[in-house]
Amino acid sequence: MSQATLHNVRFAGMATCVPKRVFHNIYDAPPKIRSERERLARNIGIYTRRLCPEWQTFSDLAFEATEKLLAELKWNKADIDALIIVGQSPDYLIPATAIILQDRLQLPQTTIAYDVNLGCSGYPFGLHLMGSMIAAGAIKKGLLLVGDRAGEEKDPLFSDAGTATALEFDAGAPPMHFDLNSDGSGYQAIMLPVGGHREPVDVHHLIQHRDEGGYYRGGTDLVLDGPAVLSFSTQRVPPAVERMLEHVGLGKDDIDYFVFHQANRMINETIRKKLRLPEEKVPSTLHDFGNTSGASLPVTMTVRLRDTLSNGKHRVLLCGFGIGLSWGTAIVDIDSAVFPALIEV
Amino acid sequence: MSSIIERSVTMEQFIEQFLSAVDFQDPVELKPDTRLADLPEWDSLAALATIVLFDTEYGKVIVGPDIEKCVKVSDLYALLG
Repeated sequence: MSQATLHNVRFAGMATCVPKRVFHNIYDAPPKIRSERERLARNIGIYTRRLCPEWQTFSDLAFEATEKLLAELKWNKADIDALIIVGQSPDYLIPATAIILQDRLQLPQTTIAYDVNLGCSGYPFGLHLMGSMIAAGAIKKGLLLVGDRAGEEKDPLFSDAGTATALEFDAGAPPMHFDLNSDGSGYQAIMLPVGGHREPVDVHHLIQHRDEGGYYRGGTDLVLDGPAVLSFSTQRVPPAVERMLEHVGLGKDDIDYFVFHQANRMINETIRKKLRLPEEKVPSTLHDFGNTSGASLPVTMTVRLRDTLSNGKHRVLLCGFGIGLSWGTAIVDIDSAVFPALIEV
Repeated sequence: MSSIIERSVTMEQFIEQFLSAVDFQDPVELKPDTRLADLPEWDSLAALATIVLFDTEYGKVIVGPDIEKCVKVSDLYALLG
């Protein structure tokens, strides 16, 4: 599929929850790597991140976001037809976390619940999936929970967040537009190579070494090819956005805000400059919240656009990109949606 | 169009823009025959900055493996084509 348009789907609201625990990329790093971290933070644009304590999981954050959102929407839990998680931080490898949350949230057993394995690109894909069910008339109300617990002290990029988006059937809703893409030839650019069936965890993977900063690293760590991810993002995203606008017949002036996945400052600024977008139309949360994987679009919408999007009509372009490789864009008209303030637990 | 831009970049201009892009933490003096591996911060971040520099300033798409093949500053300059 390249482009698609969904009708009768209303964006009803969104809530975002982050851990209270703040980790500073420079001051909380070991003293001997602080100089290196200063340069890094300056260039990736990430100074503080939110990290879950040991006991906290993505689903704990998403649970809080969902409860708050449902309360402010005044939706009856018995009316929820579907609960879909888009993320890569399950409570257990199996079963799916969404099913566990069906019970924890006290949603009816008639709820469709499952997980979708997508990371940084996930938000537009999740919107399209839930939106398709609603547009097809299969369900009336759905909850989309997006995010990850990808943050680690030793890795200066990733930060934790759980989010909830409420979508509902509304015959008067403006159309939602999508451009969704996948390129599996780049699967090695970001991956957890060990722990699946291709390479199960073995004893030798568990042997760790201490790096220059004193952080332990080993065979079960995430592998990220920075230059490959940067090239992918800066080469694929701008033309995808242009294509989306062209398909819908809109100009850049017709979009109130362009919300991009918060990857890092170098990637995001390159994308913004290539698309010739003014800074004021491209909100960022990198400085305070880092790269929150698939949650970065909701985090940025909640933290930077909450007041605006909860009053009147606004058109936003949402673009996620990353692990897979996978990239997707959505154009969504948001009219007086419910946006609870950022939740911290 | 890009070839016109590329030819107009002298080695001195390239070195100046490269230093600004890579943003070394401590001042570094670069010459065409400076070995990249000898630089204190010739790392992943430097590679990202170099890719962005070529893309946004010179309209030239280079990838990680192109940079890995470069030994000296002059090899990077040669990537301008």
